[in-house]
Amino acid sequence: MTCASTPNKVDALVIGGGIAGMQAATDLANQNIRVLLVEKDVSIGGKMIALSKVFPTLDCASCITSPKIAEVAHHPDIDILTLSEVTDVEKLENGRFSCRIVKHPRYVDEDACIGCRQCEYACPTLLPNEFEGGFGARKTAYIPHTNAYPQLATIDLENCAMCGKCIKVCPTDAIDFSQTDETVEVDAGTVVVATGFELTAQSRKTQYGGGTLPNVIDALQMERILAPHGPFGKVLRPSDGKIPDSIAYVQCAGSRDESIGVPYCSRVCCMYAIKQAMLLSGSLPFADITIYYMDIRAFGKNYEQFYQDAKAMGINFVAGKVAKIFEDSEGNPVLRVEKKEEGGHVAEDVHDLVILSQGIVPAWNPEMALPIHRDRYGFVKTIEEKISPARTEVDGIFAAGVAVAPKDIVDTIIEAGAAATRAANYLIRQEKTPVLTVVESQEQEVAR
Amino acid sequence: MSENKKLRKGVFVCHCGGNISDVVDCGKVAEKMASEDGVVVSRTETFMCSDPAQNMIIEAIKEHELDRIVVASCSPRLHELTFRNAAIRAGLNPYLYEHVNIREQVSWVHGSTHEEATEKASSLVRAALGKMEGARELFPIQVDVTPHALVIGGGVAGLRAALDFSQRGIPVTLVEKTPFLGGRVSQLDRVFPTEDHARELIGKMIQQVVHDPDIEVLVSAEVRHVEGYVGNYHADILVQPRYIRPEADPDLVEKAMKNSELQTDDEFNYGLSKRGAVYKPYKGAYPDTPALDVNLFGSLAEASEKLGADLVDDSQKPQTVSVKAGAIVLATGFSLYTPAENEFGYGAFPEVVTLPQFIRLLDEEGPTGGALNVNGKEINNIGFIHCVGSRQVEGIHEPQEGKSLNPYCSRVCCTATLQAALEVKEKHPEIRVFDFFKDIRTYGRYHEEYYTKAAKAGVLFFKYADDALPTVGEDESGEAALRVSVRDKLTFDQELNVPVDLLVLAVGMEPSDIRDLVSLMKLPVGADGFLNEVHPKLRPVELASQGLFLAGCAQAPMSIDEATGAASAAVAKAARILGKSRIELDPYVAQVDTEKCRGEGACLDACRYAGAIEMIEVSQNGQIAKQARINTALCKGCGSCVAACPHHAIDLAGSTLQQLYAMVDAIAV
Amino acid sequence: MNASKHKILILASSDSAYVGADTVGQGHNHYAANTYIIRVVSPAMLPIDFYLHAFQKGIDGIIVMSSGEETPFEGAQHQLTRQLDELTAVLKEQGIDFRRVKLAAICTVCTASFLREVRAMNELLDEIGPIDRQAVVRPNPLPIAMEGGSR
Repeated sequence: MTCASTPNKVDALVIGGGIAGMQAATDLANQNIRVLLVEKDVSIGGKMIALSKVFPTLDCASCITSPKIAEVAHHPDIDILTLSEVTDVEKLENGRFSCRIVKHPRYVDEDACIGCRQCEYACPTLLPNEFEGGFGARKTAYIPHTNAYPQLATIDLENCAMCGKCIKVCPTDAIDFSQTDETVEVDAGTVVVATGFELTAQSRKTQYGGGTLPNVIDALQMERILAPHGPFGKVLRPSDGKIPDSIAYVQCAGSRDESIGVPYCSRVCCMYAIKQAMLLSGSLPFADITIYYMDIRAFGKNYEQFYQDAKAMGINFVAGKVAKIFEDSEGNPVLRVEKKEEGGHVAEDVHDLVILSQGIVPAWNPEMALPIHRDRYGFVKTIEEKISPARTEVDGIFAAGVAVAPKDIVDTIIEAGAAATRAANYLIRQEKTPVLTVVESQEQEVAR
Repeated sequence: MSENKKLRKGVFVCHCGGNISDVVDCGKVAEKMASEDGVVVSRTETFMCSDPAQNMIIEAIKEHELDRIVVASCSPRLHELTFRNAAIRAGLNPYLYEHVNIREQVSWVHGSTHEEATEKASSLVRAALGKMEGARELFPIQVDVTPHALVIGGGVAGLRAALDFSQRGIPVTLVEKTPFLGGRVSQLDRVFPTEDHARELIGKMIQQVVHDPDIEVLVSAEVRHVEGYVGNYHADILVQPRYIRPEADPDLVEKAMKNSELQTDDEFNYGLSKRGAVYKPYKGAYPDTPALDVNLFGSLAEASEKLGADLVDDSQKPQTVSVKAGAIVLATGFSLYTPAENEFGYGAFPEVVTLPQFIRLLDEEGPTGGALNVNGKEINNIGFIHCVGSRQVEGIHEPQEGKSLNPYCSRVCCTATLQAALEVKEKHPEIRVFDFFKDIRTYGRYHEEYYTKAAKAGVLFFKYADDALPTVGEDESGEAALRVSVRDKLTFDQELNVPVDLLVLAVGMEPSDIRDLVSLMKLPVGADGFLNEVHPKLRPVELASQGLFLAGCAQAPMSIDEATGAASAAVAKAARILGKSRIELDPYVAQVDTEKCRGEGACLDACRYAGAIEMIEVSQNGQIAKQARINTALCKGCGSCVAACPHHAIDLAGSTLQQLYAMVDAIAV
Repeated sequence: MNASKHKILILASSDSAYVGADTVGQGHNHYAANTYIIRVVSPAMLPIDFYLHAFQKGIDGIIVMSSGEETPFEGAQHQLTRQLDELTAVLKEQGIDFRRVKLAAICTVCTASFLREVRAMNELLDEIGPIDRQAVVRPNPLPIAMEGGSR
């Protein structure tokens, strides 16, 4: 639940409200460990809530994420802070952690707001909708999407015209422009870092247009285009709304690439490209879909079978490195490819829409707030990772999910569980959780 | 509340953001249901599982005083619990809610017939309303929990799980089938990507485990019987004796271990060396007392006679240890694919080995002390072939007798192969190394570095296609022992002949042979033969039977860190049960209508669970009569008794015959 | 196929066949919409009277999808076969085509068998036509009280 007043002492602080943080928080709270979950964004759910469907089961992402969001949101042992950042964590002599959290203003009174969206409807300013990958528009006063938790409006003050229309329409007088940053001090028994990822910027790959070609998009944007309630309601290309007949995926467009400092494999791109290709061939049965790849890394449970299904569906897999992407006179992306399997000859293939499988980089630098370090790629440095995953250099601070290294959802969820066990056992070692035998949860009380 | 008060029902139909509403006219379904008997609320929503929609349901229940609700959305396997919890939050007994599956079983399967699909969805919701008519409030069955865990498998995943339980304050019994702890990891050399020494890692864990007073370790032990239910499992474990006296004179032990009179292939070195009848896989293995391979003798008496009674205690007897546990973790690991006769020359040429064998050869503590040679011959060229027994393709690969193909990727072999290839290049730069692959899958943290380093160190790569496997034959030019012929996709599909003195096959993982456990515990097995989790994202380390958990390669191929991570995750879930003195179970058990029961015992004859039904004597109208009584914790809710009773005096809570008849009536209309 | 004129009831065991039906859906495999799946813990719980009741109400065919030998319930499969044998005898006696009831083992990933069974039942019903409800007799109707809801 969102907390009206932040508790000043908790058993565990979980940083990040994406799938890893939510899973760690739930696994801890289900052992009756009190958790404070801190999310920097306006709502929890992370990257996963914005996905269309997930491999290899093709479950809709929302169907898997929503119940997890609901469980976190309603758990009696979890408090949630959104729009908040952890700025300082210090380990105390007693083994606990002194944590400073800055709560950024929503400019909406969280207790008063009823999520009716009247402010959003009244607001005249339109901005690119980041939840929709920048496609479509959102207002300055907004709730990011229908499944967002908490269902509270936020005012994006930086882009606000200060017209005051929201104030006039709000039925509960919740709009409050006087809010400022608020600092909260919390004493936590253990800390779990689950701060997730961002994609490498398109601008860093100038040979792929550097982000200037409208019909060259990233995979998270494609997730939204494919999502049931996506920005366009169907699959079309951004520049002119044309329904694409020919779609290409460029793999390793920012991974396994020394030139932009991401020499590692981002681990999920092969599978999401295959998944998107399958979904595309469902919605556009006559479209040609090509995946340009170096190696197809379908390593997880049932992944290889998924890949073989995609091949059987007629998706083209072309081994080759894309050297350059530019535009023809009609705005179609042209790919210059060195085709490994065709004698290494260089071809120029024209497509209607191109999706870049950009690399995965950490979303946050924990060194700014925590007494832990980053590894050579910028992810959280871990120790004893083979036999004791999720440990960092500091006993009592644990890490899970893509904050540690690129990872798919299944592996992230499992690692979050591992981090929860480590954190729970740390608390036991510190003898801060006095009893193992606990009273029945509130839910069961209600059921009776 | 009066007996015949008219029920107030609510219907909630989910669009699933188009997944349902693209086919089923959800608005029409809701509209139709609104006129059904007793329905006071009938609504649709884009995502019924979302928080705002759940709140809408809760508000509707409160505002309209609903006493039955029906949600039509995806499979109940995804969201039954979600809406049950919503009902609880609204103060409604969760069993007064019924779930209708109109996605997996309607919209996704009737996409071409929108009207019929809408009609069917309506019928199914009507059936659910009918079912709810006869629904009663149910309350979970309370069960006491034994705060003890049973971990099956003494490899790295099992060790991790045992340590985590113990640190969590939960005592554990760890059962290992072989005579020694450590599993497959102990057979490795250095592990990627940390380059830790495998036996140091596993040794550290074993030391922690064996010095932990809360962990009971049983080796040479097999689970023979399991019964019970979550919170209260009961396992019988057959433990074979060590026979070797732990107090025996060390010199005597040493001598026996060196005795080469009776020998067999050393399984620890994958048959690359021999071991005697008294053996330890490696120095420092646990338990310290060596094992006795009785099979090498005619009998135990003969072993005792040959080795001496000072060493062999033939009075020891197999023991059955009973363990009571609230939860069980299956960490039964994997076995290795054995190539078919002459598959890439395996078995036909002594120069062809598997990657696990090659790792034993690289190991300085291995059978050759780390020296690379084949039958004493010098090695100038080594080849590695990936995907042997993995990613098999129908029509290209032949299934081995009694087995099916392995279509899956074994996940760890690419990195392990490149690690080995790189080690060869680093130790012996003069050896030429050739790598034959389909795709290089160095997916994990730091794994890619092995690939780039191997390429820089001069390993030559050849990419072969699914339908053009490399072939292996004698090298007729005499340059090397063997030659590998490959059509290389990296160089214009050229046919190349590559000479090798040693060929290493990167064999895949297969599930361990745990047929006995699978049938004993009714474990779910996937098409790939590995144990199957409930759902890869919702419940990734849980089995369908409550209280049973998965850790490591019993589930799928995994690297060491992934296996230990899964083990720790399993402990997090199990601790939810074992940390409590009591848990609650589904109330779907048999119930007796004492008015109708005549004590004839047909139900007892039909019941196959000992103690679930008993016949008791009650006094009725001053006479002693027999009557059936249910032991709710032992009843599995299968309903066999329901069909057997000629008087309909016994029924299944949650789906009574009356409810099922009502469903049929609604569907048949 | 004249599917819509028939009604097929599918009794699916919750651990196995019901999951199998979900798998069919996840693969977006299409089949006839005249099929109504009821989830039961184990079809072995249903007495013969249940089937006769269904036919009397106008259900034309019933596919009993059990877990087969994989059932988590000891002996349930054996009991189910015995019950269905008995049902077959009753149907024969009443001159009702006993093929209207079909027992099939459907696992959680048995997509092909699921589709095959649905197709086969529809083909059969096309051939033999709808049930004659009047011909169905329930020799020992269970005293199922339809007293309506109360709590």
